[in-house]
Amino acid sequence: MFSEWRNETWLRIKALFLREKLDRELEEELAFHLALREEKNRADGIEAVEAGYSARRQFGNQTSWKERTWEMWTFASLESLWQDLRYAVHTLLKNPAFTAVALLTLALGIGANTAIFSVINGVLLNPLPYNDPQQLVAMKQNDSLMNIIDIQRQTRAFSQGGGINLAQLDYTSGPEPIQIHAGYVDAGFLETLGVPPLLGRILSPEEDVKGGPRVIVISYQFWQNFLNGDPQVLGKTVTLTSNDYAVIGVMPAGFTPPEAHVDIYVSLWVAYPEAAPYRGVHFMRSYWRLKPGVTLAQAQADISSIDGRLAKQYPDNEGTRKTLLVPLHDFMVRDSRKALLVLFGAVGFVLLIACANFAGLLVARNVARRQELVIRAALGAGKFRLIRQALVESALLAIIGGAAGLLLAKWGAALLLSLKPAALARFTGIQLDSHVLLFVFGISLLTGIGFGIAPAWSASRTDFGESLKEGRSSATAGPSGHLLRKVLVTAEIALALVLLVGAGLLIKGFSRLRSVNPGFNPQNVMTMHLQLPVARYSEIPRQTQFRRELLSRLNSLSGADAAMITDIPFGPDYLNHTIVIDGRPSVPVGTEPEVQTLSVMGDYFRVMQIPVRAGRGFTDLDREGQPLVAVVNETFVKQFFPHENPLGARFDWARSKPPHQWMTIVGVVQDVKYWGLNRPTDPAVYAPFSQSDESWRRWMTLAIRTPGPTPGLIDELKKQVWSVDRQIPVSDIQSMNDLMADSLAQQRFNMLLLGLFAALALVLSAVGIYGLMAYAVSQRTHEIGVRLAVGAQRRDVLRLIVGEGAKLAFFGIVIGFSAAFGLTRLMASLLFEVTPSDPETFAAVALLLAAVALVACYIPARRATRVDPMVALRYE
Amino acid sequence: MKEKRDSPGDLLQGTLDLLILKALARGAMHGYGVAEWIHQTSEDVLKVDEGALYPALHRLELRGLLSSEWGASDNNRRAKFYSLTAAGRKQLTQETEFWRRMSCAIARILQTA
Repeated sequence: MFSEWRNETWLRIKALFLREKLDRELEEELAFHLALREEKNRADGIEAVEAGYSARRQFGNQTSWKERTWEMWTFASLESLWQDLRYAVHTLLKNPAFTAVALLTLALGIGANTAIFSVINGVLLNPLPYNDPQQLVAMKQNDSLMNIIDIQRQTRAFSQGGGINLAQLDYTSGPEPIQIHAGYVDAGFLETLGVPPLLGRILSPEEDVKGGPRVIVISYQFWQNFLNGDPQVLGKTVTLTSNDYAVIGVMPAGFTPPEAHVDIYVSLWVAYPEAAPYRGVHFMRSYWRLKPGVTLAQAQADISSIDGRLAKQYPDNEGTRKTLLVPLHDFMVRDSRKALLVLFGAVGFVLLIACANFAGLLVARNVARRQELVIRAALGAGKFRLIRQALVESALLAIIGGAAGLLLAKWGAALLLSLKPAALARFTGIQLDSHVLLFVFGISLLTGIGFGIAPAWSASRTDFGESLKEGRSSATAGPSGHLLRKVLVTAEIALALVLLVGAGLLIKGFSRLRSVNPGFNPQNVMTMHLQLPVARYSEIPRQTQFRRELLSRLNSLSGADAAMITDIPFGPDYLNHTIVIDGRPSVPVGTEPEVQTLSVMGDYFRVMQIPVRAGRGFTDLDREGQPLVAVVNETFVKQFFPHENPLGARFDWARSKPPHQWMTIVGVVQDVKYWGLNRPTDPAVYAPFSQSDESWRRWMTLAIRTPGPTPGLIDELKKQVWSVDRQIPVSDIQSMNDLMADSLAQQRFNMLLLGLFAALALVLSAVGIYGLMAYAVSQRTHEIGVRLAVGAQRRDVLRLIVGEGAKLAFFGIVIGFSAAFGLTRLMASLLFEVTPSDPETFAAVALLLAAVALVACYIPARRATRVDPMVALRYE
Repeated sequence: MKEKRDSPGDLLQGTLDLLILKALARGAMHGYGVAEWIHQTSEDVLKVDEGALYPALHRLELRGLLSSEWGASDNNRRAKFYSLTAAGRKQLTQETEFWRRMSCAIARILQTA
């Protein structure tokens, strides 16, 4: 069997080099046959001329049989494919307008899809950059180191696990003191993620103990940016917040913990020994590795039984434990999965519209080429060969379009990421990798073949004999080709409507969101974060002295109005305390109401322009040694004093033991959004920094309002900070406007993208309907001429043509409406204060689309009315 | 004119191959000769484009069942003569046996019906 195949292949290869000889011989062989047959016919008494014809009739289609015989000797399918390809290139080059429109359509459709797919690929499909990432799970709740250690000891489901707490340390060895991101970890943390260090080693369990050596593992970026990539870095000392740490390892480039950027890793026991033994302080995020073969459900059961034991053992702290495990990947992707899938669906619609346009173009062109097809068929081209030729052409277009799309996508993906949607920022692997290339190639081929096949089929079904006889005048679209184009245009309009409705809903939601009052005036406010080092600022009076000195210096700057607060709105930090209210029946421990807790200094409410609704704001007299005062927000009043005057009422932190040091409410201010404009406001309490008893709250955020944009402001502010204390790092320098804009990044991302897709869809479908109508008009020039000649008014012609387009638009809109109604419900969670079936949006979109469709019909229709009847009648 | 069957697919490819092998069993022959032989022996029952013969001849040659040689025809014209190879003979025996059994089986089935 094999030797036979080998022999055959060898003969074919030989034939490759003996083309001419083979051709000559075949020619001769067939001529010989025909000659003998003709002789025989004549011998049978058939007259001379007829004998030749008869011989040829008996032989069949000579060209075709010769070609088929010839193909026996060649790698036939490959070679004729090559011929088809060359022919396709030739014809495409001959029709630059058609080729350009088709390529542009496809490049836009495929490019948009590729850009989105590359993001989806990076975020949803690519494995996380850890060892065996599918075995990693996260605990949804934070936990304490003590509990993590107990779980590590008791678990049967996990092979490894570890926790991390994110903290800031001061790095003062550079040109400016700055804060770096530290990960306070246990020895299990880096081990669990399983990425080996680039240099040195990771923390060992022996080092991860109270009183252990001061050693750190550093990130690649820290190594490069702060230590100049020193190859001899191992064993060198880095000073962080007045302590010296020896570098024992460098992690590879691109390694980050799952949810944050970290510059250095240090044992919690070493860096923050006071916090490590507290079981009740749940401040570590923990990640765990499933043992091989253990399912998530089994692990969940395991952790639940451990929860039960811990709850029994430590009822005070752990009585209400309920730990949930989440696969790490799901944990990181969170809500962006929904948004990405909606966008992917939307961009898929764009591709469908582009494909429909593409198919429409092909149909129109095949009609224009009917004469050529007919002649080719008459000369012996088989139906299969004709279809294949058409398919090769459309696949070629699609692949070139795909390549152009890839370029668009490369540019588009960069643009997407520059919009900085928060949820995507954690992912570093977004790029055009082999998955993406495969995806592009796949959709290009599918587009080319899938959407080329219907036009090719309809072209091949022509009755060639009839067409040939009737000549050019019959070269119109057959009913099937025309119907196909109508269906395509209707589908395009329907798809465009769905996209426009989706985009319209997002835009409406976004504008609602933007118009939400944040509770303060964000214009011209600069913010920066400061952290006082514990070594020199452990006592409140010392902290107060620094704060007061700094504020007075800042307020002496011309035009600047400065105040400070612990946590700025839309910033990264948030602090809650539970309270008890004087004169209210006491509630069980652990169920006291929670309020957001903020400390301020200076006239914060004036600086931020937060209106005081009742009572007063703070004054310089509200300071240490004076009666304790607090200002609350409106939500606080609604929640705790719905029918009473809150002014003069007193409350205290629930943690304080009696006798209470009551704080008196002296004012009520307007609610301020903290988490985001789409989140509700929590009850909040403002109290003076100088009256605080919590010395661990050593951080503060400056808020400085200026009359307008002030160049050099940031440098001046830093100078003032360092003139008070040279060693204080300044971080998170951002204008209030930028902070708010960042909080909307995800919504803006969704809206811009879907809006872009919808615009693309609108343009593509407008081009589609224009193309159909323009074509139909050109086909009907003769008919229109007749109508005009027998007395039809131009108005009637206009109505005739526009009416046809309007009918298609109407069907498209009706179909699109029902599809949109079903589909927009899927995006309900992406919308803010807009229902997915918002009637205004639906109506506006339908009107817009109808208007665009009518204009697209009107232009060719107007041209139709300008037809000169005499010219039209002579047409062809 | 009788209704003409215009596609070679109407005649099973295998059948055509077998007929060619059978024709050549009697000795070397050119394509026209094979066509004539098929016309005569089948009493024109098998109607087929004569052109269809040539892809089949060349295919069989490629498969090593036939060999070919240019020689002079009866009327002294240059013609391509095909003859069976050993492999061709073997193939013919096998195919003939297969068809014999097949037609017996079909005949039996038709009789019992």
